[in-house]
Amino acid sequence: MEQPVMALVLGLVAVGTLIWVFWPKKGLLARLGKVRMSSQRVLLEDTLKYLFDCEYKGIACNLNSAAGNLNISADQMAKLMAHLKDMGLVVFEGHNIHLTDTGKSYALRIVRVHRIWERFLADETGVQHMDWHGEADIQEHQLSLEEANRIAARMGNPAFDPHGDPIPSTEGEIPPFSGRPLSSLKEGEVAQIVHIEDEPHYIFEQLSALGLYPGMQVYQLDVQQGKITFAADGNECVLTPLFASAITVQPLPKAEPIQEGYQRLSELQPDETANIVGISSYCRGLQRRRLMDFGIVPGNSITAELRSASGDPVGYRILGTTIAIRKDQANLIFINNIKKEQHEQSA
Amino acid sequence: MTEQNKSKNTEEILGIANNLKWELGMGIHDKIVSSLYADAAQIARKTVSIEGDKPAFSLDRKIDKIVTSRWSGFPIMFVLLAVVFWVTISGANYPSGLLASLLVDTLHPILKSGADSFMPWWLSGLLIDGAYLAMAWVISVMLPPMAIFFPLFTLLEDLGYLPRVAFNMDSLFRKAGAHGKQALTMSMGFGCNAAGVIAARVIDSPRERLIAIITNNFSLCNGRWPTQILIATIFIGGMVSPFWAGLVSTGAVVGVAVLGIAFSLIVSWVLSRSVLKGEASTFSLELPPYRPPRVLQTLYTSLIDRTLFVLWRAVVFAVPAGMVIWLVSNIHIGGVSLAEHFIDWSNPFAVVFGLNGVILLAYIIAIPANEIVIPTILMLTVLVTGMSGVGEGSGVMFELDSITSTENILRAGGWTLLTGINLMLFSLLHNPCSTTIYTIYKETKSAKWTLIATLLPIVLGFVVCFFTAQLWYLFA
Repeated sequence: MEQPVMALVLGLVAVGTLIWVFWPKKGLLARLGKVRMSSQRVLLEDTLKYLFDCEYKGIACNLNSAAGNLNISADQMAKLMAHLKDMGLVVFEGHNIHLTDTGKSYALRIVRVHRIWERFLADETGVQHMDWHGEADIQEHQLSLEEANRIAARMGNPAFDPHGDPIPSTEGEIPPFSGRPLSSLKEGEVAQIVHIEDEPHYIFEQLSALGLYPGMQVYQLDVQQGKITFAADGNECVLTPLFASAITVQPLPKAEPIQEGYQRLSELQPDETANIVGISSYCRGLQRRRLMDFGIVPGNSITAELRSASGDPVGYRILGTTIAIRKDQANLIFINNIKKEQHEQSA
Repeated sequence: MTEQNKSKNTEEILGIANNLKWELGMGIHDKIVSSLYADAAQIARKTVSIEGDKPAFSLDRKIDKIVTSRWSGFPIMFVLLAVVFWVTISGANYPSGLLASLLVDTLHPILKSGADSFMPWWLSGLLIDGAYLAMAWVISVMLPPMAIFFPLFTLLEDLGYLPRVAFNMDSLFRKAGAHGKQALTMSMGFGCNAAGVIAARVIDSPRERLIAIITNNFSLCNGRWPTQILIATIFIGGMVSPFWAGLVSTGAVVGVAVLGIAFSLIVSWVLSRSVLKGEASTFSLELPPYRPPRVLQTLYTSLIDRTLFVLWRAVVFAVPAGMVIWLVSNIHIGGVSLAEHFIDWSNPFAVVFGLNGVILLAYIIAIPANEIVIPTILMLTVLVTGMSGVGEGSGVMFELDSITSTENILRAGGWTLLTGINLMLFSLLHNPCSTTIYTIYKETKSAKWTLIATLLPIVLGFVVCFFTAQLWYLFA
C-alpha cells in the first residue's frame, strides 16, 4: 500500500511543478522574464522615457517624481541620474532635470518602438486592449529600432498608436503637444478626444468600459466642482475631474456638436431595424475588416433577426444576408434610429 | 531637374506627407474605407432592385425560428446528429464485413501462397503479411463508414443546417475561447480526425482555427469506436450480469466520448488563454439561406475530396507501418524478437500507467491508423505469451469473430479491468494517427503547432492513466 501513495504524491508534485513553471504571469518562467526586465539598462531607458514625457507635456521633473514614476527609491534614482549624466544624456538645472539632444533622440527611439509595438498588437494580434501597454513596456527594451521600422513599414507606417499618441518618425520628429485635459474644457466647447492615458490601469479600464476612445467628439455640457458632464458623440457621460484629466482633447472651434446620441447594436431587439453609425476604435485589425466586409459601415441599415438557442450570438440581416454577431462585438457597433420593422403580410 | 534636386524634393514631399498624417488625425484610413463602402452601398441602393425572393425568405425565417429556438433548437440538433451516427454505424457494418472477408480472409491467403511460390519467406512476409495486410485492414475498416458519414454530413451542410448548429452552440464555445463552428469540426472528427482538421478551414479566425485543429483529436474517431466498444464489452460489461451488460458497456463508451468533448473544451480554454493568446482572433458566421441540397454533386465531392483523399493518405502511411509491424516481430536478436525485447523492457514503465508493454508498442507501430491497433495488440499478445493455435503467425495481424476468444487472449496476456479502463482512456488521449499529424502539418504549415497537437494529447493521456492506475492500486 506504500507504493501507490508514494507514486501519487510524486505524480501530483510533478504536475504541480509543471503548472508552477508555465503558469502565465505568475509562474517561474514569467517571473524569470520579469527579473530580466528590471536590469540596469531597462531602468535607464525607462527614466529617459519619463523625462521625455515630462518635457513633451511641459511638466517640470525632479528626482522624486522620477523615482515615484519608476517605483524605485530616491537613492536608486539619484544613482541612475548620475549614470545618465556621465553618459551625457541628461543635464541638471538646480532641481530640474533636462534631456540633452542625444538623450532626447535616445528617448524618442524607445518611444517609437513602444508605440509601434502597441499599434502592432492592436491591429495584427488578438491581444486585449488592456494588455497593449504592458506588453509594449517589455518589447521596447528588446526590439531593435530596425525591427520596429520593418514592422511599421509592413503596417503602412502608421502615424498614431492605438491610444492616439503620435509615433515619432524615423528621423525623430514628433508633432508638438497640442492637447488639453478634458477637465479644462469650458462649457459649450466642442473637442475631439486625441488620447486616453493608459496609466494608471484602473482609470484606463474604467474609461474604456464607458466606451470612450480616441477620435470621439466631446461637447462639454456642465463643469462643476467634482463633476464634469459632457456628451461623447452625443451620449451624456459624467466623470470626476481625476478621471477627466486622463482624457486629452483637442478643441475643434468650428465643429458643430453632434446632437443625436447612438445606441449599441447589442440593444437592438429581434424585428427591430436601425442605422449603423460606426464601429468603436477598440474593434481593430482583422475583426474590424471582417465587419466592414459584411457591410457594417455608417449609413447601412441593419435588422436583428433571430437569437440563437443559447441567447448569444444574434443573427442580423444586413445587405440581404444574415450574419451572426456575438454580444461583445455588437457592443462595439453603434447604431441610431431604432424602428420596429413592418412585417409585410403576403396577401 | 538635376538628380540632387530630385532627391531633395522626394525628401521634402515625404516630410510633408508625414506631417500631414499627424494633422489629419488617426481615423483617416477608416474614414476613407468607410466612405468607399458607404458610396458603394448608396450606388447599389439606387441602381439595384430586388424582386421576388420574399416567400422563400419568410419560409427560411419560419424554419430558423424552430431550429434556433430556445426549446427545440438543441433537441433537434442532438436527434439529427444521433441519426447520422446511427446510419453510419449500422450501415457500415455489412460492407465492412464484406470488404474484410474479401481482402483479408480470401485475397490474403491467395496472395500469400502465390508470393511464397517464388519469393523467399521473409520477402513474402514483409510484403504480404506486413504491407498488404495493413493496407487491406485500413481500407476495409475505414472506407465504408467514411463513405456513409461524409456524404450525410455534407448534405446537412449543403442544406444550410450546419451553420445553425454552429450558431446555437457558439455561446458554449465562446466561453472556451473557441468558435461555434468548432462544433462542426468536432462532429466531423467523430468520423475522422484528419477530415475534422481539414474541415477547420471554415473557421477564418487564425486563433480559433488553430484551437479547432489542435483539439480535434479529442473527438473519438471512427477508428477508435470499435476499440472502445470491444474493450467495454469485455471488461466493463463483464463486471455486471448479462442483463445489464449491454447498457453498462454502452454507457461506458458514451462516457468516454463525452469525456473527450469535455477535454476538447477545457484544452480549448487553456490554449486560448496561454500559448494562443496573441494570435489574431475574429468572429464571423454567415447564416446562408436554406436550399435543396445538390445530391449528386455532394456525393461526388464528399467521396472524392474527403473519403478517397483521407483514405489515400491513410494507405500511404499504413504500407510502411505494416512492414515495420512484421519486421519487429520477425527480426530476432539473441533468439528473441525485437518486439519482445521492447515489451519486456517497457513493461515496468507501462505498469506505472496501468497499461502494458504490448499496448505501448502497439500504439507506436500502429501509428498510421487507430483501426489496426487492436489487431496489432492481439498479434503481439499471442507472440509474447507463446499461445498456440490462435493467430496466423508472428507479424500477421488478426481479429477474432468471437468476443470470448478475444477476451481469452487478452486475459492470458495479463489484462485486468484496470488495463481495460486505461486502454479506453489511452485510446481517447494519445497522439493523433500519422495521417492526422501529416494533415495538421499541411493545414498549419507549422512544425510547432504540429508538435503541440501531437504531444499535448499523449502527455494528457499519460497523466490521466497514471492517476487512474495509482488510485486503483491504492484502493483495489
